[in-house]
Amino acid sequence: MFATRTAALRSLRARRSSLTSHSFLSSLPPPAAMTTANGTKSPSTSQPLLPQAAQSLVDSVDAFLFDCDGVIWKGDKLIEGVPHALQALRSSGKKLVFVTNNSTKSRKQYARKFTSLGLDVCEEEIFSSSFAAAMFLKLRNFPREKKVYVIGEEGILEELKQAGFSCLGGPEDGKKKVELKTNFWFEHDKSVGAVVVGLDQYINYYKLQYATLCIRENPGCLFIATNRDAVGHMTDLQEWPGAGCMVAAVCGSTQKEPIVVGKPSTFLMDFLLERFQIDTTRMCMVGDRLDTDILFGKNAGCKTLLVLSGVTTMSDLQDPSNEIHPDYYASSVSDVVDLSDSLTKGQ
Amino acid sequence: MLMSSGVSDAFLAVSASASSRSPTPPALATGRRLFSALLPPSSSLSSSNRHFGPRRRLGRRSSTMAARAAAQRLENVDELIDSVETFLFDCDGVIWKGDKLIDGVPGTLDMLRSKGKRLVFVTNNSTKSRKQYGKKFETLGLSVTEEEIFASSFAAAAYLKSIDFPKDKKVYVIGEDGILKELELAGYQYLGGPEDGDKKIELKPGFLMEHDHNVGAVVVGFDRYFNYYKVQYGTLCVRENPGCLFIATNRDAVTHLTDAQEWAGGGSMVGAICGSTQREPLVVGKPSTFMMDYLANKFGILKSQICMVGDRLDTDILFGQNGGCKTLLVLSGVTSLQMLQSPSNSIQPDFYTNKISDLVTLKAAAV
Repeated sequence: MFATRTAALRSLRARRSSLTSHSFLSSLPPPAAMTTANGTKSPSTSQPLLPQAAQSLVDSVDAFLFDCDGVIWKGDKLIEGVPHALQALRSSGKKLVFVTNNSTKSRKQYARKFTSLGLDVCEEEIFSSSFAAAMFLKLRNFPREKKVYVIGEEGILEELKQAGFSCLGGPEDGKKKVELKTNFWFEHDKSVGAVVVGLDQYINYYKLQYATLCIRENPGCLFIATNRDAVGHMTDLQEWPGAGCMVAAVCGSTQKEPIVVGKPSTFLMDFLLERFQIDTTRMCMVGDRLDTDILFGKNAGCKTLLVLSGVTTMSDLQDPSNEIHPDYYASSVSDVVDLSDSLTKGQ
Repeated sequence: MLMSSGVSDAFLAVSASASSRSPTPPALATGRRLFSALLPPSSSLSSSNRHFGPRRRLGRRSSTMAARAAAQRLENVDELIDSVETFLFDCDGVIWKGDKLIDGVPGTLDMLRSKGKRLVFVTNNSTKSRKQYGKKFETLGLSVTEEEIFASSFAAAAYLKSIDFPKDKKVYVIGEDGILKELELAGYQYLGGPEDGDKKIELKPGFLMEHDHNVGAVVVGFDRYFNYYKVQYGTLCVRENPGCLFIATNRDAVTHLTDAQEWAGGGSMVGAICGSTQREPLVVGKPSTFMMDYLANKFGILKSQICMVGDRLDTDILFGQNGGCKTLLVLSGVTSLQMLQSPSNSIQPDFYTNKISDLVTLKAAAV
């Protein structure tokens, strides 16, 4: 699609500038619909990842971008076959990148999680939405004398601190209560210039009120969402409400839409391209969610592979109301390697 | 999601626009009464149902409603009073702010009663039941009976009754005491409420959160004890219990819970559940006309004989307009004159004035 990396970057920067005023859905081009020769829309063209397709995919791609929850692990449990698959891909010279919307950890903390699960992945290969939020503020030259109020967990706080910003809120505010009685005045810091909202298992009314006052009353206060995933596999056994919940709560009280920095926004792609210098057409995005992972991949011009090991089922994919069609689908990451001739033979 | 195809079409249209993933669950019951109240009067189902969709900004209305003339400052009080039989009052920002009565309210209510007007109080605040509101009015020295009060907590229970929600099904509540009391009065079993505010979860391997598969409806309203446990419980019920209803008492963004400042309102808690379920709720409070139809039916009054008095454009005034009533905006609450006259606002009440006691002072001045 893009002749050079420069052209790809230019296109992404143009798209990024539209992030400031629209919700993630309206700022992105619509998912590509396949049209037949006579102009009618054809049904889903997602192919199952059969051996020939797997080989062709591996041959045509230099880098694999992986989502984490539902793809690499579920909660703190590795998904079967993942270590072997990642090892095989690395041995065949493929670059591996991990792009996760889960903002509860920083890149550093994710690297530690990978290590504890026996996977050899370094910090520079990880791009989390917590990192995206900090980078977004950095790129906008967010003033250092302004503060950031955080509805979210340690990951966001760590990344913001690392980028040199002062934060308020976070898990600590999860212990604070409000007293709704006459003459009680809820104070908020007037120097808060941005509110960042991500997944927060310690969400409570205090935080909602604090963020609401900042956004409604501090002139020019930014409202940034790390992501808007509705649910995710925070534990191995079931799905849990995602950041989409906390973000929508703040939308509900402020009547404003946030700037979304995580998937499907392609904001993070700029950082990936700068680091890995590979055309997006030579990348494959592997994820378990259509409206974040696959949309992210498509919007950036990557190949896309949906794995059914996470939140999306076959019937979700084939539902007539679904308009997001990945290039391929497979049951899990290990299929890429198991079905690919060259990789199973270790060539 | 609901009983009749007409109503379910409305909700399918809304949920499609909110990119809902869940297929339409089978209907729980087939009662049809009062369903039309849940639709805007322009009942063109293809138009965006702003009452049920996410709140974006002040002034977004159904595209089929004609543009109204700009609101007039209230001057001829007699004309207004003589033209209606019933006054509907919002409470927060109109009668009181938190626990403080707004100036001149008692005298105003007395004057209207002495002129033979029926008074009804319609509030989106679901934290109290009608009985508890009755006590609040009493504490503030106002003589208002329980039967004159319609809170969104009552509306939620009344709605379930109107659709013959089965008594053997349970209701999960993300909200406060008012909702629990009204459900109990209506004979329904509930789970959740303030108690669940103390429950914690542990996101660790092997931990599974159970939920009651017998929950047939989740009711969401303002909840100062809001937490992740409740969000997950409500989400599991809505996503996994077939046919489970998702009902919102109201979607007010902010509200004067204390006299001194605004506080994040029910719109926040409802938004949270929309975010995790990707579904839109059935809203029983203003601006949905459910309560309007209910009380018009109950008291046998014509809507053209009603004046709705409120402080919020996208709930109170829209509620009055959707019901075909006269509307009077008071500036003693969340809306300022600047907001009313802003180019981005398209909700124009018939009249506006500073506070309800103007009905007395302007009248006196005119003599």
